[in-house]
Amino acid sequence: MNINTDVILLWTIAVPLIGAVLSFVVSDATGRRLAAVTAFLTLVFAAMLGMGQKQGMWHELDWEWVPALGLRLHLGVDGISYPLVLLTALLTLLCCGYSIWHTPTPGLGNHLGALLLVIEAGIIGTFLAQDLVLFFIAFEVVLLPMAAVIAVWGGEGRRRAALKFALYTLAGSVLLLVGVVSVVIKTGSGDMTQPASLPPNTQLWIFILFAIAFAIKSPLWPLHTWLPDAHTEAPTVGSVILAGVLLKMGTYGLIRVGLGVTPDGFAEAAPVLGVLAVAAIIVGSLVCLAQNELKRLIAYSSVGHMGFVLLGIATGSAIGLQAALIGNIAHGVLTGLLFFLAGAIKDRSHTGQLAELGGLRERAPWMAGILGLAALGSLGLPGLAGFWGEAFAVFASYQRGGPLWTTLAVVAAVGGALTAAYLLRMLRKVSHGPLAPSLATASEAHWPEVVAWAPLVFLAFLLGVVPVLVVDLAAGASLISGAAGR
Amino acid sequence: MIWPMILAAGTAVAVMLVDLVFPRWYVPFGVALLGSLATAVSPYIVQKGQLALLCADPGRCSYVLDDTARLIAALIAVLTALALMLYAPGLRAGDAPAGEVGFLLASAMTGGVVLGGAGDLITLIVALETLTLPLYALVALHRRRDGAAAAVTFFTTSIVATAISLLGAALLQMSSGFVHLPFTMRHDLPGGQPIAIAGLILLLTGFGFKVAAVPLHAWAPTTYDGAPVPVAAYLSTASKLGGVIAILFVADEAADTDLRVTAGGTLAVLATLSLVIGTLVALRQQRTVRLLAWSSVAQAGFILAPLGGLLVSSSADLFAASLAYTLFFLALEFGAFSGVVALRPREDGGVLEDLRGFGRAAPWRSAMLAFGLIGLAGLPPVLSGLFAKIIVIKALLVVDSLWLALVVALISVVGLALYWRPLAALYRGSVDDRPAISFWPFLPLAAATIVTVVLSVDPQLTMSLWQ
Amino acid sequence: MSVMTVGLTVALIGAPLLLGLIGLLMPQRNRPDAAALGVAGAGVALGIVTALLILNDGNSQASMQWVAFGDLKVTLSTLVDQRALYVAFAVAAVAFCVQVYSIAYLHDDERYGPYAAQVSIFTAAMLTVVLSGDLIMLLIGWEVMGACSYLLIAHDRRLPEAPAAAVKAFLVTRVGDVGFLLGVIILGVKLGTFRIPEVLDRVSDLDAGTVTLVCLLLLAGVAGKSAQFPFHTWLPDAMAGPTPISALIHAATMVAAGVYVVARLFPLFAASETALTVLGVMAGITLLLGAFAATAADDIKRVLAWSTVSQLGYMMAALSVSAVDPAIFHLLTHAAFKALLFLCAGSVIHAVGSNLMSRMGGLRNSMPLTFVTMAIGLGALVGVPPLAGFWSKESIISALEVKPWLMWAALIGVAVTAWYSTRLLLLTFFGHQRMYGHEPRFAMTMPLALLAVPSFGLGMAVYAFRDDLVHLGTGLVLPLLMATLGILLGWLMCRRRDPIAALGPVGPWIGNGFGLDTVQRWIVVEPVLALARAVRVGDESGVDGVVMGVGRLTEATGAGLNRWHRAALPRAFAGVLAGAMLLVIAGVTVGLW
Repeated sequence: MNINTDVILLWTIAVPLIGAVLSFVVSDATGRRLAAVTAFLTLVFAAMLGMGQKQGMWHELDWEWVPALGLRLHLGVDGISYPLVLLTALLTLLCCGYSIWHTPTPGLGNHLGALLLVIEAGIIGTFLAQDLVLFFIAFEVVLLPMAAVIAVWGGEGRRRAALKFALYTLAGSVLLLVGVVSVVIKTGSGDMTQPASLPPNTQLWIFILFAIAFAIKSPLWPLHTWLPDAHTEAPTVGSVILAGVLLKMGTYGLIRVGLGVTPDGFAEAAPVLGVLAVAAIIVGSLVCLAQNELKRLIAYSSVGHMGFVLLGIATGSAIGLQAALIGNIAHGVLTGLLFFLAGAIKDRSHTGQLAELGGLRERAPWMAGILGLAALGSLGLPGLAGFWGEAFAVFASYQRGGPLWTTLAVVAAVGGALTAAYLLRMLRKVSHGPLAPSLATASEAHWPEVVAWAPLVFLAFLLGVVPVLVVDLAAGASLISGAAGR
Repeated sequence: MIWPMILAAGTAVAVMLVDLVFPRWYVPFGVALLGSLATAVSPYIVQKGQLALLCADPGRCSYVLDDTARLIAALIAVLTALALMLYAPGLRAGDAPAGEVGFLLASAMTGGVVLGGAGDLITLIVALETLTLPLYALVALHRRRDGAAAAVTFFTTSIVATAISLLGAALLQMSSGFVHLPFTMRHDLPGGQPIAIAGLILLLTGFGFKVAAVPLHAWAPTTYDGAPVPVAAYLSTASKLGGVIAILFVADEAADTDLRVTAGGTLAVLATLSLVIGTLVALRQQRTVRLLAWSSVAQAGFILAPLGGLLVSSSADLFAASLAYTLFFLALEFGAFSGVVALRPREDGGVLEDLRGFGRAAPWRSAMLAFGLIGLAGLPPVLSGLFAKIIVIKALLVVDSLWLALVVALISVVGLALYWRPLAALYRGSVDDRPAISFWPFLPLAAATIVTVVLSVDPQLTMSLWQ
Repeated sequence: MSVMTVGLTVALIGAPLLLGLIGLLMPQRNRPDAAALGVAGAGVALGIVTALLILNDGNSQASMQWVAFGDLKVTLSTLVDQRALYVAFAVAAVAFCVQVYSIAYLHDDERYGPYAAQVSIFTAAMLTVVLSGDLIMLLIGWEVMGACSYLLIAHDRRLPEAPAAAVKAFLVTRVGDVGFLLGVIILGVKLGTFRIPEVLDRVSDLDAGTVTLVCLLLLAGVAGKSAQFPFHTWLPDAMAGPTPISALIHAATMVAAGVYVVARLFPLFAASETALTVLGVMAGITLLLGAFAATAADDIKRVLAWSTVSQLGYMMAALSVSAVDPAIFHLLTHAAFKALLFLCAGSVIHAVGSNLMSRMGGLRNSMPLTFVTMAIGLGALVGVPPLAGFWSKESIISALEVKPWLMWAALIGVAVTAWYSTRLLLLTFFGHQRMYGHEPRFAMTMPLALLAVPSFGLGMAVYAFRDDLVHLGTGLVLPLLMATLGILLGWLMCRRRDPIAALGPVGPWIGNGFGLDTVQRWIVVEPVLALARAVRVGDESGVDGVVMGVGRLTEATGAGLNRWHRAALPRAFAGVLAGAMLLVIAGVTVGLW
């Protein structure tokens, strides 16, 4: 019995890969549906991982692969990774389903679906990997498919944006590689479940390598500039996956690898991390306040929100980490929703310029309503998903005490007000005011869109009202309990 | 008797003879193909067990057939066969005389077969030259006359290189009194050390020519681009393999003497220069084959990088890594070249724009070409390329040569930018005329892809080959 | 019985919330169901409160764990006491009236459905604030209320200024809430709990500095919600919302929340003299500022808005002298008469089709009921005995004796209030008739009648139970004198024409709050926007410039090397040999050395 449940770990990664190959070779129409079906199966398998929850790892699977590289096929799921895996599977399903209905030029929906599935496999692999080298490989798998999604189905400047994304993130992950391999050599094992301890000074420089890699992925200011371009050019589903789960690989890695493998290095570098995180909050919000392009604005808002998540992580306390985790999920849900809406709006108005938008609620009150909800949630309105992560990141930072962390807490809280400022500005430009000519013929949300959005709206409420869903799971994970012990 | 050499040489002779009797293209082609395949399997089937020839005294033999030698002989022979297949469309159309091509390739193969077992510097250099010499002719031997210039460049540069390596060999022999590899690094004659150092550096630099490592790299782009693409493929794989083996042998012997640092330093310099210059210049290339040529300069850097670790300390991992990377590289590089040929049989490499739209028109071949390119960039989903990179970096970190590891890591970022352009060209736009699919070039492409896939699943295969 | 109380309390919050959420999912055009849901939400709430008041089983509290971060528990808990129930009653009652009134007031608005639903959610949020026993839960109600006010103020599509006003309302309060959140967080960190009873029990554990800090931070949020100086600027603009919403915001929800929260957390504030002084100063400034601004406004709703600001000042003033019950007393009476006043103003506007008093006049004949009810409301506002406002205001002023300066401010405020109330009444209902008005439909008049009752009698009723709040004696003379003076002056000055019109541009300046909006704009808004623009430029050309620069540099280097490789053979050989020799020399020297 136990064996079967453990093998599910493998299936959650294998199924999308197989599905990707199949939908790549079959015809367009079939491929789209096949991809969606596969994504659904994956979601089922991912959900099955939730069985048998307990302290530490729920399920584990540890096979030999390449001894010469110290690479083992070591997968495991616990309270930190499970929600992220679930979110990944869900968003991929939504995106694949959405693509059945609408795939931007040049069509080839089956290829798009296949790439989305490969990305899914990579991301889930990252969240499940318990072997450092395996983690790195999964981390890399995502790179090219995502770049391809942007470069083929994206907007005007898609190729430049895609190349920038690929190069920038690759620059980070090669450093990750150096770090990972160093750890494997120095400790003789890449096991992330019980990482062997390293001497502090070694930990520091290795952690710095890790931190740069994950900071680029998250993204942490000032290593964020690939994000706006990528988001602005990416197709809707690309943006959703990118903001929804791909960024989470960075924060997750920072927790699982940075904090897990090099705790002392982490502790030493935490203040720097915290300062940068708060800088990200402020800079992100201010840039949004002066931003004129819808998707770019949402992209920069991601910088701000991930700032809160990273602040939570930087505190290294149990509260901070839990806040970071629910913040992660909340951001995935809300920003995913925001990008779906932004995409829908751009499909109708053919422009992302805020100046050329307006009066959406006149033509499409439902869409305007959902946009309003997403914006409110995203500005951290209590009662919706976004609140917990932000409020308790500030809490954790204040709890750390001392002038630095107190200041960080205060500044971050002020950043919260700025967040409200730019999101309301966005709402006012897009959905209020007189009807803009670009939206004069805008149609109300179509049912495939509604189907794609509904789960996210639901989650936005659910996580706002029942945060335990994420927070308690995380509490069981050894990392968090360890942090609580410290 | 020692079969692989016989078979190889025999193939060459046989091809020439049948060409005289039956002038149809496929006869010499067939003979050469069979011969090379036979050579490929012979070391494992007919010629089992250790074998040493021409020994001055026990332990000082000029030719030793051990596992490494077997492997290299087989590899060279296989590459020869694959190159022949790539050339098939050209030969059928009479772009080049089948007999001569077959003969020259077979002779080159003979050199390669011997190389693996070479036990002294002279045999090593002679074998290496035998491997390269026929290629000058092959480069020029084509209906398109632009090959001539390429051949001249190739020939003249190679003379310089050979001179350099011979000088190095001579100096080493002078410093030690031996030409046999294990002893030639001793330099126990009075005042031998500086001479030995100079000799070793010259020798390695000279060998660097064969792997197209900076500073002896400038010939590669011109020659590859001027030569028929199959020959370019052969140059960038078989003859590069020869050079790598030679360097590995010499470095291995130097590793456990006080010449270790010299060898390491030289190779570190060669590697770094090749990585940086090769990658950066490749960024600017417009012609497909030139781009591949420059990238293969950079790849030479990756191959030599682990040996640069000798600068810090010696470890078997370094050599294993270097050889392993070479094997990954051979599969990927040959895949890339065969992809180009399979998409444009008989034409030259052309410019990147010529690849435009193949992604739609010929999805499978394009996919395989893309597979090779992505692998060369060292990224998933082509795991073998990624494994290759990891192996190199791991080896370097094992001996704590962090900076070289970082150079390798960072340059591979730029590497993506360079392979991005052909990939983008491949999948941009669409052409309506589907390129004719020809059987022979498809075989090597498929073979390379399969090998790549296998290595992606079980890279361990390549790791246990060096002893 | 406590179980039942808890159940009822939960239902009290849950019913309007649930019905509101359902209402949001209703198809747009479905007016009857939307109306039914809205009225039902408020009605059920009203019923439950009444039941609770009748049950009257004293204080009860219940709590269950909601979520635990680390070892810190956030609870879902209720804390019910008499005060909470009275305020809850006021909320429910006003909400009910507003819902009923809105049916008629928004009869031609096709976005009525979401509107009604949002009002329900608004009500639920306010009830959460009133009944919550946990600071985080309170914060949730607190912020949701802000969001609802945002949505409702922005409701009216015909007013171009509506969206801006809505954004302003939300942002100003949100800025205050930064302080509120930090205050709550500090409490959580220091005491390890968010439960209000525990927090209040353990105030003594906190050192004085912390208490003051927390109080001041909380006050920021309170000032934001209750429109106290300097956070009062949003309230007058919020008039852009539909009139019933103004009634809701001004009477029972939103602005009342601040006062109520101070009252509920009073032990905390009582522990910090500084905080109370700050509160007092704030209150003094606010009540005078509001009163004087009200004298000059031409927009009838603006007059009422400013009067709200000033009346809230009275409540805060009472709190600053630890007179909690009088504050709540005035909160309740104010809820009644201010709701009444706004709904009256609504029906006037409904009839006249303009907000401006300069367009009104002589309406008393055509709209007798509105006239009477409004007169009652204004009387209560001024504090004319025996109307409700008289009692509550008296109780406050008598309590203020400990802070004479504050008491004088209050007294002056009384006079000014009397003056502008008189002005409002005269300009609207007396003088010669400019345009013909008519009484609105029953759905609109009924609430007026309903609210007129408490506006008239609530004071006396309370006095019947608690005569300790007001002492009928010499203390009453001064306030009444001031009120009379105000009324007299008002009558003398305004019975022919509007004296403010004579002031020219000064009038609007006062009416807009002494140009504080502009100050706010130049001290806060513009600098932030400028900073934002600067940061954007810095980020896009600075930070990203470096990245792109690296890329270009690489390409340039490649180009340079490429050019350098186009050399004729001889030079190439020279280069090669030179390279080899260089390596050798370097190697040998290093090797020997």
